Amino acid sequence: MTIALAVHGLRKAYGSRVALDGLDLEVPTGTVYGFLGPNGAGKTTTMRLLVGLIRPDAGTLEVLGRPYTWHDRHRLFDVGALIEAPSFYPFLSGRENLRAAAASGAPVPRGRVDELLGLVGLRDRAGDKVGGYSLGMRQRLGIAAALLSDPSLLLLDEPANGLDPGGIVGMRDTLRQLAAAGKTVFVSSHILPEVQQLADVVGIVASGRLVREGRVDELLASSAVVRARVGADEAPAAQAAAAARFGAEAVGVTAGGDGTWLEVRTDGSRSAELNQVLAQAGVYVSRLEPGSDLESLFLELTGGGSANGGGLGIGGVA
Amino acid sequence: MRIVRSTFRKIVRRPASWVTAGLVAALLVLEFVALGATARSSAARPVEQATITAFLKFPDTYVTVASQLIGLGGLFALAYAAAVAGSEWGWGTLKTAVARGESRWRYMLLTLFGLVLAAAVAMVAAYAVGVVAAVLGASIAGVPLTGLGDSDALLNIPQTLLHVWLAIAEEMAVGFAVATLTRSQLAGVGAGIALFFGEQFATLILPDVVKYLPFNAASAVVARANLAGAGAPAALPPDQATLVTIAWLLGALLLVAGATERAEIGS
Repeated sequence: MTIALAVHGLRKAYGSRVALDGLDLEVPTGTVYGFLGPNGAGKTTTMRLLVGLIRPDAGTLEVLGRPYTWHDRHRLFDVGALIEAPSFYPFLSGRENLRAAAASGAPVPRGRVDELLGLVGLRDRAGDKVGGYSLGMRQRLGIAAALLSDPSLLLLDEPANGLDPGGIVGMRDTLRQLAAAGKTVFVSSHILPEVQQLADVVGIVASGRLVREGRVDELLASSAVVRARVGADEAPAAQAAAAARFGAEAVGVTAGGDGTWLEVRTDGSRSAELNQVLAQAGVYVSRLEPGSDLESLFLELTGGGSANGGGLGIGGVA
Repeated sequence: MRIVRSTFRKIVRRPASWVTAGLVAALLVLEFVALGATARSSAARPVEQATITAFLKFPDTYVTVASQLIGLGGLFALAYAAAVAGSEWGWGTLKTAVARGESRWRYMLLTLFGLVLAAAVAMVAAYAVGVVAAVLGASIAGVPLTGLGDSDALLNIPQTLLHVWLAIAEEMAVGFAVATLTRSQLAGVGAGIALFFGEQFATLILPDVVKYLPFNAASAVVARANLAGAGAPAALPPDQATLVTIAWLLGALLLVAGATERAEIGS
């Protein structure tokens, strides 16, 4: 397995605020890597460091198999990036903006601009001024700009921002196709379902450090849960029956506004088995929800809120 | 060359480019027509009339138009260059270029070079408008146009315009550098204009120092007629002013390159 992107002991502080505190991660070539973290966890700082916008205080970076430093700009010829909000000249059209971007850095093949405008679904609006574009259209154009040089490594910071459902599906398909063609896609996001559907590998960052990394299916398996809604008075019997089959440490009960829920940490394929066990114990569930709980895992690993102490945690962010 | 060509295309498409060039041309027309009208209405004030008449008398007016272009056009060019540099930071387009592997200093200096090239085209057009306006002003004032076809003066125009271009390039570079330091379109334009007028006011206090400062030196690269006559502040001789202007231009370029290269681009 070759590594497309690696950082070791990466550290960056803005004054007294530490944004990255010894970040380590490795991104295998040809994968879609989901870089997850709450607001202020250091995702965008990592992106900025990877494209030389800012300098690390400590640590090393490797891009496409070779060490990368601040002045090694030619390495970026094989990297496409969309960092934070897409940046364009509002008085130029979408097509002219892509041509303006293509005038710097890596050479861009002739015809590439129109090809990309078609790919991101902006061909019909390519002649309109970007100042009149919606957020989603700008985002699409930003993704097109990142793809200009047909890069081997694509760095996308919250690429689904502002995209409509159709745009999200289209972006996901495009990124999957790129990965299938051997390119590496590094996507930062706080939208868990999006990353869950898109990424092969996920790294979760909190307070500037990597707190968990692994294949999505493995993480999902480790965090899989089956929930069964039961009557409040039946909860003890249900918990005992489930504990006998799945183990006491895997079983819990929660109660809230939507009723009392028996939660069993087990693979979703064992939902029917749980239902049977409960029925045999005389407990009939009114609802059964098999599924993974990446969100719970995420909240557990990241402390459940944004790094800047705000009340709006990842779970509350659209 | 890709960046220079791209900058040229951006300038052409940017509404502020046409507004700036239009304002310079309109103000030149206004100035010379107003002078002509003033001379005509000040027949009872011979000294005033003589000063204005000298101002509008060809072939010297060929140089006068050029010097007005440095003062008026330079101020607008400074503001425009500051706006362009500031917007590269503010809109994040510099960030895009850097993330694409472009050299920071190269990108900014070539962008400035593209601006200066475009300014040459605008300058020639504005000069032509200024000459026509001066002819109009002279006609209104009743100043004879006998020197209009002076061959020596006409042959000197290219060299004069080269000096004007140097002066405008220096003023643009200063505006560009200020906006690079402030990293903001609005702050860059504001600080650039404040610097320009600050230097003019400082002339009243420290004329012997201020004549070496960027805008005064640039204004002096072309020997100029001055409506203030004997009361005009001391200026450097044109040759010396040219050297000082080149020095300021190079200093501004170094500042742009150094500040961009060292900057941490956060947004």
